Amino acid sequence: MNFFGQVVQWFLTASHWQGDGGIPHRTFEHVIMSGGSLLAAAVLALPASIVLGHFGKGGALAINISNVGRAIPSFALLVIAVELVGIGWVPAFVALVALGVPPMVTNSYLGIREVDPDVREAARGMGMRGRAVLWQVELPIALPFIMSGIRTSAVNIVATATLAALVAWGGLGRFIVDGFGLQDYPQMFGGAILVGVLSLIVEFSLAGVQRLVTPAGLRRSKTIRDPDSKVATNLAAA
Amino acid sequence: MLATGAVGAVVDPWIRWDWITRHLDVIAAALGQHIELTVIAVVLGVVIALPLGLLGWRRRWLRGPIFSLTGILYTIPSLALFSLLIPFTGLSVLTSEIGLVSYTLLILIRNIVTGLEAVPDDVREAARGMGYRPFRQFTQVDFPLAVPAIIAGVRIATVTTIGLVTVTALIGEGGLGSLIYDGLLRDFKTPLVVGTVLSVALAVVADLSLSGLQRWITPWARTRTAT
Amino acid sequence: MRLKRIYVLGASMVALALITTACGSTGGPASAKATITIASFNFSESIILAHIYGDALHNKGYTINYKDKLGNREIVEPSLENGIIDLYAGYAATDLAFVDKRQGVAIESGSDAQANVQKLNARLGSKGVKALDPSPAIDQNAFAVTKAEADANNLTKLSDLSSVASKWTLGGPPECPQRPFCQPGLEQTYGLHFKAFKSLDAGGPLTYAALKGGDINIGLVFSSDGGIVANNFVVLQDDKHLEAADNIVPLIRTDKSNSEVDALLNSIDAKLNTTDLTALNKSADVDKQDPTDLAATWVKNHGF
Repeated sequence: MNFFGQVVQWFLTASHWQGDGGIPHRTFEHVIMSGGSLLAAAVLALPASIVLGHFGKGGALAINISNVGRAIPSFALLVIAVELVGIGWVPAFVALVALGVPPMVTNSYLGIREVDPDVREAARGMGMRGRAVLWQVELPIALPFIMSGIRTSAVNIVATATLAALVAWGGLGRFIVDGFGLQDYPQMFGGAILVGVLSLIVEFSLAGVQRLVTPAGLRRSKTIRDPDSKVATNLAAA
Repeated sequence: MLATGAVGAVVDPWIRWDWITRHLDVIAAALGQHIELTVIAVVLGVVIALPLGLLGWRRRWLRGPIFSLTGILYTIPSLALFSLLIPFTGLSVLTSEIGLVSYTLLILIRNIVTGLEAVPDDVREAARGMGYRPFRQFTQVDFPLAVPAIIAGVRIATVTTIGLVTVTALIGEGGLGSLIYDGLLRDFKTPLVVGTVLSVALAVVADLSLSGLQRWITPWARTRTAT
Repeated sequence: MRLKRIYVLGASMVALALITTACGSTGGPASAKATITIASFNFSESIILAHIYGDALHNKGYTINYKDKLGNREIVEPSLENGIIDLYAGYAATDLAFVDKRQGVAIESGSDAQANVQKLNARLGSKGVKALDPSPAIDQNAFAVTKAEADANNLTKLSDLSSVASKWTLGGPPECPQRPFCQPGLEQTYGLHFKAFKSLDAGGPLTYAALKGGDINIGLVFSSDGGIVANNFVVLQDDKHLEAADNIVPLIRTDKSNSEVDALLNSIDAKLNTTDLTALNKSADVDKQDPTDLAATWVKNHGF
């Protein structure tokens, strides 16, 4: 049987779908861990960076912390978390939250800052006060950027959750790590496919959400063509 | 728990300076390998991304497929991507580099396209009006004006690659990742800290150098407000 | 003209990449004696042994390449057969069992080290590999529990586990469920069927942490581990003799073997013993000393 035949065989083996080590359970672990840490990271990152963006303060600090945070390899983050906390799901969670915060901070801060000053002026001219400007003008306009940050964090988190199998956690990375250890390449490859598919599902569904939250007027706008590339350029300029 | 020193009763401080001074050669070798892997990946990435970016810029209908494919490569987690390659390319530098280059493509291509598209229409009109033929227009107008965005892409790709090189420690390479991995295998904090700090430092230095480079080759961009 | 800067930049980037690739692949100076590539497994003892062999051979004029922490046996042994590496320090019974399984024959490992080595040679001869003389130093699989667990359940030997095994979680490296001297062996020889298996590492920090933290009840460790005593673990006696003679034995490619190399490696092996090995492991894993330094010291102290 050729290699791909073996991979198919791995997927078709019933025992691989049962129990704690089965595909459904590992997928569940992976999704719950990723979702949970994304949520925690969002709770930590979003309010602070949105408020900072609204007042235009602390931007350089926020972006620099983010840049440095982005530069810490996720593998290192995981091992440091294990040295601090021990093995199991806790260090994985801590590392994933730490990983998820920087992209959300940068994108939210920049997203709010990038709101056209004229629009802000107009809103104030119409009598809107600070909080109203934030909620009714800045946030809706910045929402695609904020979503872009959440999307980046989500993809990074799902990816690093794969690595967490190296520190005695479970998830889909387990198939890759164990497959490699056993030199059972069909298992390793099968695990990689599962991880890849999950990542793509997360990326595309969040991309869809991002399009949904882009205010209709901006979707057709020429100036805000692609929040992802615009933020990318800004990040470099920061 | 590892925090209290699982393998032994000896408490392991976060930094043992004597270990560092006695392993400067190991650290230097790891740093050198890390830089090497990164440079090769980013340069190859640019070499591959340029034609693809140009294609995507010129032929709009190709843009979707190019972005989709590189987007998929970018989304697949590094360990998974390496695992997809290993049965075919083995535990080799090639496997590491194929993976690392794949991750640079989306960012680079996206920035190349965005950069080229951002060239103001009136500038292009002016060039055409002055009689520039397509090749000259590209090399002397479009491309130079796109350079800031392209270098921005190279900056992000470089920082991303520096982080990803650490994962290659699991498949026989590693750079500074082998120090981190050693820390994990032996429950030994010092190489872990050294590997991490140097990775971050390398990323910051690379980022600053590239931004300096951008200013050097596009002095006219200094007076424009960055968008 | 400033545009030139951009193109100069492009050209230098390509040149830089070419130079870094070239620098990375310059070989060492040519040598009259052979170059030997020595691999080690993913744990300190293996690295120490590899460097003991390597340092001694280097002192005799051989050029040594190391592939440290290459992986587990699933990676290392095939690499030896394929000629990617030339030598590694094996463990007689486990290597024999691995080779048997790979060749699809019944496991032949027993408690006689010499017999194990003989059979290894019989199996590997056609692959261009030979096993040299076994050392009196032994490092074999051992199963450990925390002292608290041992006291609570009155455990001294593996047969004592029959009443608790079905509620327990076994921890070990990913290959444990497939290695005859690991989980399958416990099932067949002792009738122990554990509730669950947790994939960790080969007697390393993850297994130790899991034992201490209660994530597993019993873990695979190695009999010469430095951390067993330090962590107050209790190794359960192998009363039904599941584990066979895992004496250290060099496995070397026949094309790198000659009388000088063989004699050197054999005399090193003769001087290795389990007590020293355990002490070396403790220095590496508990005291965080460098495996390569420890090897160099051992080589010097024993006159190699």
